[in-house]
Amino acid sequence: MRPAIRRRPFLPLFVTPAVLVAAAIVAAMAAILRYSLHAYVPGSLDVGGFTLENFADLTRPIVLRALRDTVLICFETALITLVVGYPVAYALVRTRSVLLKSVILVTAVTPLFLGEVVRTYAWTVVLGNTGFVNAMLRQVGLIERPIQFMFTELGVIVALVHVTLPVMVIMLAAALAHIDRDYERAAQSLGAGPVRAFLTVTLPLSMPGVVAGFTTAFAWTFSAFATPQVIGGGKVGVVSTLVYQLGLSSFNFPVAASLSLAGLVLALGTMWAVRRAARPFEAMGGH
Amino acid sequence: MRRGLRTRILGISGTLLVALILAFIVLPAFVVTLAAFNDRAILSFPPAKYSTRWFTRALTYRDFQTGLWNSLVVTAWASSIALAVGTGFAIALKRYAFRLKDTLEGVLLSPLIVPHFTIGLGLLVLATGLGAARGFAVVVVTHVIVVLPFVIRSVYISLQNIDERLELAAASLGARPGRVLTTITLPLLAPGLVSGWLFAAILSFNEFTASLFVTGQATQTLPVAMYGYVREFADPTLAAVSVIYIAVTAALLTVANTFLGLGKVLNVEQGR
Amino acid sequence: MLSKAVDLSPPANLPGTAPSPRPAPAVRLDGVVKRFGTVTALEETWLQVEQGEFLTLLGPSGCGKTTLLNLMAGFLEADAGEIFIGGDLVTATPPYERQIGIVFQNYALFPHMSVAKNVGYGLRMRGVGKREIAERVGQALDLVKLSGLADRSPRQLSGGQQQRVALARALVIRPKVLLLDEPFSALDKNLRGAMQVELKEIQRRLGVTTVFVTHDQGEALSMSDRIVVMSAGRIRQIGTPDQVYRHPQDRFVAGFIGDVNRLPARLEACAGERATVTIRDLRREVEAGALRDCAPGAAVDVFVRPDHLTLRPAGEPGTLPARVAALVYQGSHIDLHADLDLSATEGASAGGRVVVRMPGQGALATHAPGTEIGLLVPQAGLVAFPPEG
Repeated sequence: MRPAIRRRPFLPLFVTPAVLVAAAIVAAMAAILRYSLHAYVPGSLDVGGFTLENFADLTRPIVLRALRDTVLICFETALITLVVGYPVAYALVRTRSVLLKSVILVTAVTPLFLGEVVRTYAWTVVLGNTGFVNAMLRQVGLIERPIQFMFTELGVIVALVHVTLPVMVIMLAAALAHIDRDYERAAQSLGAGPVRAFLTVTLPLSMPGVVAGFTTAFAWTFSAFATPQVIGGGKVGVVSTLVYQLGLSSFNFPVAASLSLAGLVLALGTMWAVRRAARPFEAMGGH
Repeated sequence: MRRGLRTRILGISGTLLVALILAFIVLPAFVVTLAAFNDRAILSFPPAKYSTRWFTRALTYRDFQTGLWNSLVVTAWASSIALAVGTGFAIALKRYAFRLKDTLEGVLLSPLIVPHFTIGLGLLVLATGLGAARGFAVVVVTHVIVVLPFVIRSVYISLQNIDERLELAAASLGARPGRVLTTITLPLLAPGLVSGWLFAAILSFNEFTASLFVTGQATQTLPVAMYGYVREFADPTLAAVSVIYIAVTAALLTVANTFLGLGKVLNVEQGR
Repeated sequence: MLSKAVDLSPPANLPGTAPSPRPAPAVRLDGVVKRFGTVTALEETWLQVEQGEFLTLLGPSGCGKTTLLNLMAGFLEADAGEIFIGGDLVTATPPYERQIGIVFQNYALFPHMSVAKNVGYGLRMRGVGKREIAERVGQALDLVKLSGLADRSPRQLSGGQQQRVALARALVIRPKVLLLDEPFSALDKNLRGAMQVELKEIQRRLGVTTVFVTHDQGEALSMSDRIVVMSAGRIRQIGTPDQVYRHPQDRFVAGFIGDVNRLPARLEACAGERATVTIRDLRREVEAGALRDCAPGAAVDVFVRPDHLTLRPAGEPGTLPARVAALVYQGSHIDLHADLDLSATEGASAGGRVVVRMPGQGALATHAPGTEIGLLVPQAGLVAFPPEG
């Protein structure tokens, strides 16, 4: 055995705290798994014997509808966010003015750092029946009775797009920033107009960012709670609100846990499917 | 000539589009600010009379006061712990090979895709099982878990920009590993550490969904208190709180952008 | 020039003061092997670097020269074999205890420290007193002619100045060996030449043992006491610059050092140290060396320098027929590219491109592309090797 020069100084010091945090994450997931497989004892936080009953509970129409709606809402939100976020990311990366770049960056990113509660509340003020949009429309005489945004899927999606937009912009901008401008110039020198150059060169090269942005937006939307809860007002049932109702209103931890798991599996499964479907497009980005 | 015109039209409509989207982004902040200064207790636009009484109420409302204090305590602990844990792990991730490295990374980054309500519920049932529910410890742990991926990412990116040869040069000059760390690696990492900590602090201060599950009456953080308020009252007090929130966050980000280069931290700077 | 007593060198190797007739070599590698996974980056290597010597590791990228340097520095661990520095076994010694100085390609100056702090870093790590540090840093900066810039940040310095700082930083700890990893490649061409002369001067004055890694054969030839030519993880030849330039021991060295033409030929006979080959119908004598194992009649390659070929009128007896393909203006000389007509040589590919280096500009007017010419191959200065594979 050759004597070893110490090549990994402080490895235990660096990794042990991380292992402890990871252990907490794993323990929390294990706790969810354990609860989901044990019977609910009404009026008690303790659980009964082993059962698969909780998962059978998930086939109730209300749960199935929530699962389906969640995926649909997340999908629509991610798609709209992508379409809205791309121009901003493009402008952010390509603008030559330092000031403009800062303005776009701070504007686009600030909502990321405002909690869900503040943003959701702000949207109730914008979309409410006596809110900003309805007041303005009424003032100019376009409508007589307020348009119902609150407690609709449309309202929820508008607010969710706003919530996920910053992440989308950041991920798209990161991808665009790493595309050499000379590709676009080369395309233009070969006779492609700006639109063609964008569609044939820049867009394909940014596909990895598009896929990453889409899946992240999907995950964030899936995780959203305050927005569907407050703006949806119980009319728009999604997994997160249902888990909250079961867990913190009825204290039915076992069913909440099984629904959490189902939601997690559904989220991961959908993201996996999206990634798979997008693989041919992603390959266009090279690297 | 035609092409020139088309390019110009394209440029102008592009600028307009981006301006519209940016307007969409700032619209809620703008509207909420209007609402916060509205004297009436019921929403109405445009406000007939302006006042600052909702700010007074916001600042004197007991739940917000305790919520703010709790949030500050939790944020200070959580972001500092996350910074220490994340820095160590990012260095190990970047520099060393070790067993189960990928698994560990996967678990630690999982909160980026695992819904926060799942994490919150998991830690709630775990803490309940351990008899530690509704204490500050579980809130801090929850926040550490949720913000850690951002710290790891931020520090890791900073590490990528440090030439490893600087550390080798230091070693060749006689610096033991500990001295290399304290005299070379950490000083060069300082901007990354500051921005990582700032990131963590802002995110922790704003964390809501997971907190909702693990906080109790005594430990509720400001966002949780605000959520409770929305459900009970409809007056613009919350608008006033939101304005304070928005102002502080935008100010912090502007500072961060000026001194640290937000673009670099977020990795959106044009390469060439 | 250096009137003050600048002592940056290890005490034992001042020229002429060596205590014993044969001191331990500065560096010794005994059968050192390095693998990365399944790839062998360095095959079993035996090498000695003498005290005060300027030794160059020369080879293309991926030849193992940097791996060898990193093994000496202690940045990598050998998979087999032993490494000695100044007679001490250091195979398992970490870099911070090896007492080696290293100058990296990008200099690796600490960006958060001033020039003086950079240079003094190694002394601080050794717990040297403040006053002595200041004194020795001052001397080192004097040596590299940067005395006025002690308080600057490395970022404010030019490439050449940064390199001087890196050199001062490596020398101030009085290293047993100075390792230089492609230190000139980041400098522009004019500065590079000046820095090479200056570095060599400092090295000679201090007598510090130096191991220099480069892929630039010009640098290697001009600076080294000895050159180690490497390729594919193996040492191909060790020798003085003149030895490797004029007497390459294998095909690789012949092709890598200096510009060279390859002429297909046939082995006629081997007798003792000399061998006879024919290029088309020209008979020439070469060193037998690598041809000893070849049977008479075998195809071989003859290597000749572009400046050793001479232009003759087409058809002149004793020349090789060729046609001018291109003329490349190089300032001080012209490179004439010509296609050889080798149809008479059995087994040779139809033709071959050769370069003839001609001083002056006369050829530009007289040898337009397409002109038929004759090439005179010299009697001496030829080397021959068996073909590849």
